[in-house]
Amino acid sequence: MANYLIRRILKALLTIFVSATIVFFIIRLMPADPVTLLVDPKMGPEVQQAMMQQFGLDKSIGLQYVIFIQQTLSGNLGISFKTREPVTTVIMQKLPWTLLLLFIVVTLTLVIGIPIGMLAAKKRDGLFDKFINVLIVMGISIFIPFLSFAFLYFFAYYLKLLPTGGAYTPPPAKGFDYILDVARHAILPSLTLFIGNVATIILYTRNSMIDVLKEDYIRTAFSKGWNEKYVVRRHALKNALIPTITVAGIMIGSMVGGAVMTETVYGWPGVGRLIYDSVSSMDFPVLQGAFITLAVSVVVMNIIADLVVAWLDPRIKLGG
Amino acid sequence: MQNRTFVESFVKKRLGLFGLLGVLVIVSLGLLAPLISAYPKGYGTEILLPPSEKFWFGTDGLGLDLFAQVVWGARTSLYVSFVAVMVAAVIGIPAGLISGYKKGLLGSLIDGIIDIFLTLPVLPLMIVIAAVVGSSITNVAVVIGLLAWPSLARVTRNSTLKVSELQFIEAARCVGISPRMILFKHILLNIAGPVLVNLTLVMATAVLSESGLSFLGLGDPTTWSWGTILKKAWDAGAVIDTPNPWWWWFFTSSFIMIYVICFNLLGSGINDALNPKTRD
Repeated sequence: MANYLIRRILKALLTIFVSATIVFFIIRLMPADPVTLLVDPKMGPEVQQAMMQQFGLDKSIGLQYVIFIQQTLSGNLGISFKTREPVTTVIMQKLPWTLLLLFIVVTLTLVIGIPIGMLAAKKRDGLFDKFINVLIVMGISIFIPFLSFAFLYFFAYYLKLLPTGGAYTPPPAKGFDYILDVARHAILPSLTLFIGNVATIILYTRNSMIDVLKEDYIRTAFSKGWNEKYVVRRHALKNALIPTITVAGIMIGSMVGGAVMTETVYGWPGVGRLIYDSVSSMDFPVLQGAFITLAVSVVVMNIIADLVVAWLDPRIKLGG
Repeated sequence: MQNRTFVESFVKKRLGLFGLLGVLVIVSLGLLAPLISAYPKGYGTEILLPPSEKFWFGTDGLGLDLFAQVVWGARTSLYVSFVAVMVAAVIGIPAGLISGYKKGLLGSLIDGIIDIFLTLPVLPLMIVIAAVVGSSITNVAVVIGLLAWPSLARVTRNSTLKVSELQFIEAARCVGISPRMILFKHILLNIAGPVLVNLTLVMATAVLSESGLSFLGLGDPTTWSWGTILKKAWDAGAVIDTPNPWWWWFFTSSFIMIYVICFNLLGSGINDALNPKTRD
């Protein structure tokens, strides 16, 4: 277990390091020079020089990279080109919103997806299973903006039930009203991401449950005279969940991608929307910081998923 | 003989066949775009007309025919998916073959790289790269391909691991056939099924990525792509404004969904027909 943990954490650190490196060099290699973006031609040469120094652009690329890694390790992600605020400050305002959205969606997909997958496996090849299979194909083919448009059209434009965007009605209310207001705004973005991701969870739960139910130890359990409910709950579920949890961890990566589009359409003030905004304003330090933040969140959630798998799977818990 | 049973069982599973037909329709739409409708450009006087006999999908805020935009968008989407699949295949297949066949350091190194790339949040990374390399449709396609190879490599690697344990590979090695020949002829031919399935899935996700990038404004603004149409509709407030030109986004979005569903169905059809367990 200890070895497994250490290996996982090393891999996580390596992943974060690789993503930070990739994003650093991609941005430095771009054809458009950051200096021309940053520096107004009307500025005097001394001002230009001072600005280059402020953003560290006067040093060689190798040196810039070393400084960048040092700063990132100490939690400093640079200064925004646009607002001149520290990137960490900008991101910290946005991150809670994205985490809130992801938390709602992950909880919903697992709580709703796993039982549906189990039911489909139990009624294998029946009408319910066929219906679920069609839904899965639709679900994995979903285009997030389309779903968002359809929801907005129906719930916000046609029925006028839900807000068209944002995370709260400005100015923010106080106390319980504020929570209620945020919840109302969160419904459509969560629902959109939920539908885009629940299909994968249903698919994996269904398939691995079908595989597990074919195992010898399940037949043994049945032959001891236990009823189906007991066998599924006590013997099959734990093993069947291992692939589901693993895929849930991997899914976080694509979910974060979906969050960029969802947050953009609904004007949800999270890191995804921040990425969209900093692309339009060519604010590369923020873009770089936002990407690293997303990569770190994905890696952390992957580790959590792996820990749950290790807890479910005695081979990992007991072995190396 | 094996070929016939494959075709037979593929035809028997109606969903795969349905997917193939859909793919053929979209491919012909894209290839024949110049014959089907004129390239939409400039502006017209018939602004925001609902679907009618003259304009099947209505017109947009500039008075351009939306059906023509969707047809020309299909052309872009096919081009992007094709280039992306090529790039992904050129990197992913050799990487998967080598890491599955060579046990030592090289194998685990490639496997580690695949692992790391599978964890990264792909769409945000695409956004960063696309923002930097600039918005030409070929750039976008290459970027999508460059980030789509890990899943293909993983599938290739897993199948290679299974096949390279088989006796005929050992025999080939004993006879003294070069590793390159073994990899790219004997193993690749035997894992063609799962690799092909994954390629159709890459086709599907490539369109989702391209539409997503164009929707976020990172596509090529000078060509019609489905994502660009949606971006224009969104920017013009076509979703929540009153009066509401729903046709501006509805038909285009439906085509994206149909494209992706058809390629996914085709992939799972091939998969089922290849898998002896589900063949009958």
